[in-house]
Amino acid sequence: MKHTLLLPLIIAIFTSLSAQAQQLDFGDRTSATIAGKAWGALNSKNYPDAVAYAQECVKMYEKQAVEMQNGLKEPVTGDKEAVAKMWALNDVGTCLFIMGQALEKQNKGTEALAAYKQLVEKIPFAQCWDPKGWFWKPAEGAKTRMKALEFDSLK
Amino acid sequence: MKSFSPARFLSSVAIVCATMFHFGSASAGEVKVGKDDKGHFILLRDGKPYFIRGAGGSSHLLLLKEHGGNSIRTWGIETLEQQVDGKWLIDRCAELGITVAAGIYVGHERHGFNYSDPAQIKRQRETVRAAVRKYKDHPALLVWGLGNEMEGPTSDGRDPRIWKELNELAAIVKAEDPAHPVMTVIAGAAPTKVKGILEHYPNLDILGVNSYAGAGGAAAAVKAAGWKKPFVLAEFGPSGHWEVPKTKWGAPIEPSSRDKAAAYFSTQKTMIEDAADISLGSYCFVWGQKQETTSTWYGMFLKTGEKLPQVDAMCRAWTDQWPANRCPRVTRFESELKEAVIAPGQLCTVRAEATDPDGDDLKWEWTVTAESTDLKVGGDKEAEPPSFPDAIVSAEKNQAVIRTPAKPGNYRVFAIVRDGKGGASAENFCFRVEAR
Repeated sequence: MKHTLLLPLIIAIFTSLSAQAQQLDFGDRTSATIAGKAWGALNSKNYPDAVAYAQECVKMYEKQAVEMQNGLKEPVTGDKEAVAKMWALNDVGTCLFIMGQALEKQNKGTEALAAYKQLVEKIPFAQCWDPKGWFWKPAEGAKTRMKALEFDSLK
Repeated sequence: MKSFSPARFLSSVAIVCATMFHFGSASAGEVKVGKDDKGHFILLRDGKPYFIRGAGGSSHLLLLKEHGGNSIRTWGIETLEQQVDGKWLIDRCAELGITVAAGIYVGHERHGFNYSDPAQIKRQRETVRAAVRKYKDHPALLVWGLGNEMEGPTSDGRDPRIWKELNELAAIVKAEDPAHPVMTVIAGAAPTKVKGILEHYPNLDILGVNSYAGAGGAAAAVKAAGWKKPFVLAEFGPSGHWEVPKTKWGAPIEPSSRDKAAAYFSTQKTMIEDAADISLGSYCFVWGQKQETTSTWYGMFLKTGEKLPQVDAMCRAWTDQWPANRCPRVTRFESELKEAVIAPGQLCTVRAEATDPDGDDLKWEWTVTAESTDLKVGGDKEAEPPSFPDAIVSAEKNQAVIRTPAKPGNYRVFAIVRDGKGGASAENFCFRVEAR
């Protein structure tokens, strides 16, 4: 009974996102380009596009990201180049964080929580360069946002 | 050489007598850094584990206690003698069972201190020594807060002179008072700062970090930079005004009261979960009210004394319980004026909605102010911008009609809702008036 209700919803969301994704320009379709476009959409408050870009990056590169994660015992340290070698891990992790942020802005707390959870559980060693001069970890930001969403739902 | 002055001599005697009177016969509890059976750093106060549930500030002490807090942090030694409920602050804290991370101001170059000037350095060492001698036996003393952001909030921390001098100052503190650890607080967890401290400041016992948007990950960041000693999150709160999105004209957009409350809760919880190995606790910022970018950005209380939802959030994080009376919760705050550019003299409606968890009757207050132009860095004192009472044409319950000011410029609309029992919530948005 539940499945008959849920299935049309999933199909509708997938169709809607697919249609939206078809209209977007993914450039050279590298993870870095798509992640950059997702950041751009988030910063310009175009939240549906931010989600669509981020989803495309996750869809295309999640497998490589998880493989990179599984090859690590701790986050990569050292110079920028060493961290950048984990390109799929870093870009997919960043995109999951962007997705969570954009979904939160659309008051989609449950979906945002799912994106953050995926980031924390599957690719916690992802890193993102801060123009101020250091790397930060999207999974740490995601953990904080998960707690914030938990707090906001407390009665 | 200074000449003898009877007045100065009598004044010194009076201070010594007053100090003896204030401290009474109680001896200071010895505070040490130790480790628990898991190998995690802990504070031991009189031999018992002590986790800091702290707040930065010196007001609303009873409320701090009632909401589950146990410690305050000050920034300058003179604050300890501030009058609170007819007593010195530090005595009132002792009376309430609240400990104090006693801040000792250490010079900032942006305020004119020169770390290459031997005379200034000598004077500063004498001041630090005198402060420690004066308060080291006070029973409320928890740790020494030796300096706050003295490296500069925008510095990369590569200048070794400041870290080297702090190392000298910490040696003075330890020589005078071996019974209380030394904490120094830096702005943000930049690896270059941590590395500078590791290289030049071995006398430091506890690294304090002030962090806002990234506060939940601050402990992990200092660990990644090589820090292996204890850590305190020394200031945290909502995203800072330098960390948030801005309007088209560059005004920082203040987080909503709900977002702020959630940020306090999540930071405290995340820090406890992720940094149990090095974290000795935290101090939320600021347990009081201050003008910094706006009148409500960082303060956990209104100027009129009511607590804001951030206080309830800390109570929940500290105790897993809500306080007896909770603040109203704003669920809607909308207007066509929000982040808009608009002509002078236009009439606009602002609507807000709020619920009160205790069912209290709610009263709204509406204010239009100029955007602050007296902006400083590092929390330096700022002047309040002027307000424009005539801009509120009508205000009925949760709705107000605003006439945009005649003078072009940047403004904010504030909505404050009070429950009449000491709880409130505050929201604001920006708008810009341009002549057309």
